[in-house]
Amino acid sequence: MTHLQARGVVKAYGPTPALRGVTLDVAEGEIVAVSGPSGCGKSTLLHCLAGILRPDVGEVSWRGDRIDTWSESARSRLRRTEFGVLFQFGQLVAELTAAENVALPLLLAGTGRRAARTAAVNWLDRFGVAELADVRPGEMSGGQQQRCATARALVTEPRVLFADEPTGALDTLTGEQVLTQLVRLAREQRTTVVLVTHEPRVAAYADREVVLRDGMVDHTGLGFEASLGGGVR
Amino acid sequence: MRPATLLRLALAGTRTDAARVTLTTLSAALATLPGLTALTVLAIPTPPATDDNPNRWSEQYTIQLLVEPGLRGGTAFALLLLAIPVLVLAGQSARMGAPGRDRRLAALRLAGATPGQVTRLAMLETGLASLVGTVVGLAGYLVGRKLLHHPDASGRLVLPTDVLPSVPAMAAVVLGLPLVAAAATAVMLRRVTATPLGVVRRARRTGAPRPWPALLIGLGVLAVAMIDPIVRAFRDTRLDWLFADPATRDLVIALVAVLVVFVGLFAGVVGVILGAGWISYFAGQLLHRFARGPAALLAARRLTDDPWASSRTFAALLASLVVGAGAAAFRARFLLDEQLQREQSRRAGYDDYAGPFSSFYLSTMDLVDLTVVTAVAIAAAGLLVTLVEGIVTRRRAYAALVATGVPRTTIATSILWQVLAPAVPAVLVALGVGHGFGRQFVGDHVTGGFQEEVCRASAELCQDPATRDRYTEIVQVERVIHSPDVPLEQLALLGAGAVAAVLITAGLGLLFLRANTAVQELRST
Repeated sequence: MTHLQARGVVKAYGPTPALRGVTLDVAEGEIVAVSGPSGCGKSTLLHCLAGILRPDVGEVSWRGDRIDTWSESARSRLRRTEFGVLFQFGQLVAELTAAENVALPLLLAGTGRRAARTAAVNWLDRFGVAELADVRPGEMSGGQQQRCATARALVTEPRVLFADEPTGALDTLTGEQVLTQLVRLAREQRTTVVLVTHEPRVAAYADREVVLRDGMVDHTGLGFEASLGGGVR
Repeated sequence: MRPATLLRLALAGTRTDAARVTLTTLSAALATLPGLTALTVLAIPTPPATDDNPNRWSEQYTIQLLVEPGLRGGTAFALLLLAIPVLVLAGQSARMGAPGRDRRLAALRLAGATPGQVTRLAMLETGLASLVGTVVGLAGYLVGRKLLHHPDASGRLVLPTDVLPSVPAMAAVVLGLPLVAAAATAVMLRRVTATPLGVVRRARRTGAPRPWPALLIGLGVLAVAMIDPIVRAFRDTRLDWLFADPATRDLVIALVAVLVVFVGLFAGVVGVILGAGWISYFAGQLLHRFARGPAALLAARRLTDDPWASSRTFAALLASLVVGAGAAAFRARFLLDEQLQREQSRRAGYDDYAGPFSSFYLSTMDLVDLTVVTAVAIAAAGLLVTLVEGIVTRRRAYAALVATGVPRTTIATSILWQVLAPAVPAVLVALGVGHGFGRQFVGDHVTGGFQEEVCRASAELCQDPATRDRYTEIVQVERVIHSPDVPLEQLALLGAGAVAAVLITAGLGLLFLRANTAVQELRST
């Protein structure tokens, strides 16, 4: 079943075109990697799919509803409740501890502080960083920060996780570890993942790889894991 | 490095750098005005004493503060005090875009610049911007002087637009301010080491603030309380061997008293400003303990993380409020004096008393209040700069939060919490300390407490030396202490005005939030 859909999405930043008519379907529980060279529109496509940006032309639908016509606050609510978003770096609030950072989306959803903290520590534990619950981002390594950020993105148990170069700022080994945990937990939860990357190694974790070039879909292929028989079609 | 290269690099930068330079220029222009005005007041010539004018008054002015030579020093000093919030604004402006500038300096170090060269670059940027500002300020002063030169029908002036400070004095302001600003930049950069691999800030303060501010406030109160005993001790001690001339002795006593007042006031103001950091920390802790929502949690953590940010942010505002509350205590005392004089006059049969003493001081207090309001307005501008700087510095984290679905209203609410939670108690403390200082300084109005001859007979009998003694008796006039009322209304107005200024400034600052939480911020480095 199609979960997320983009139809003829066009987006430009002033005179510079970023997307020139992208069409994409993402099924429930599927892990899709969007790859391509720098400046091909990968992040812009992710932002349009996540409702962060509104396309200039075209449609973006979530479970059959066109979200590109929704108001900013409605799209924010959608991101808060149904989506999780993960970036390359800089998304943790420097002054909050790891547990508070992870608990933030739950607090926004109205969960009590105690329950939110318990859930946050539980998620940190699943990423192997529970001992950092009371540590601030500035005192963590890049890999630890990214694990916390991933825990924050998944703490509300979103239906879709959007990850923009989630391992771009990490060394190879740490990146592999973070990605392995992310994919494992996404599969456990049957979370759909849209993953932007320019690294074939990262794209190999996906069920499907969509390669963009000059703002358009160049070709679509199977991810490394999918080719071994895993993944969801 | 060639001067042209140095200049080119000093003026290079982003929009934030341009904003910093513009604000530095504006602050320097604003600081020049009270400086030149103070010099103008001091440049008013004192005429020689004549039979018509034994007090050497400058009768060409309508304002008594300019007329009397003895009051002009104080007036000039008050004008210079007005420059303090402007200089604080300049300091806050200098912090704007500091992380970006630090990255630029690090990039220059990577390209081979020495630590001295990058420091000179930063000094040149500030120095040039300040010089442009002081020149603009000088031009504004000269134009304003022409525009405000309106003698009344009797040829008298409201402002000293007929005199100019000496050229060296004006040059000292126009050239001195940029030099001081450049030197201050060098001092501020002492805490920053721009290495080729980035910027390392040294000696960052950590941990909970200690209660030193309370000690400083206590020291200030003690100093002001000690003035009277110190003066009395000086008078009572036989110091003839030291001061042959009684006038010299009185001058020394006056100087010591002034010094003690300034030490006390300085300690009190610094105590209140540092106290804002202490208040911030504990407000943050309280908020963290009882906060329910994410906005309050974010604010609480920011307050405890860098409590001194509040000291920096509210320094000028709190200093203005201490002075304003002190002035309110003085006004209350002058009003009491006037009221008592009116009562005395009424008892003596003069119903329409309008004494010159209190009315002069009360009109002076109007000028002081105007100065305080101006200072609060300038301080609010500084607050706006700090607020916007905070938003710009955190724009990546804010943009990431918005992208993950955090409503901008949550971030805006957290910023409001962050501003108001320390501001409201700090404003109350500043008002309390300021009023306490002023109240101690002006003291009470004491009447009676002495013996008086009273003739209990007709005027005729009392005037006749032969009969007067028979009807005259010595009575003890009861000692009555009249305490000035606490000027609650004025203090409340001052506090409400300050909080309103903070709220308006915060509201204006939040207008920058949308632009700085755009998704494009996530892509900037």
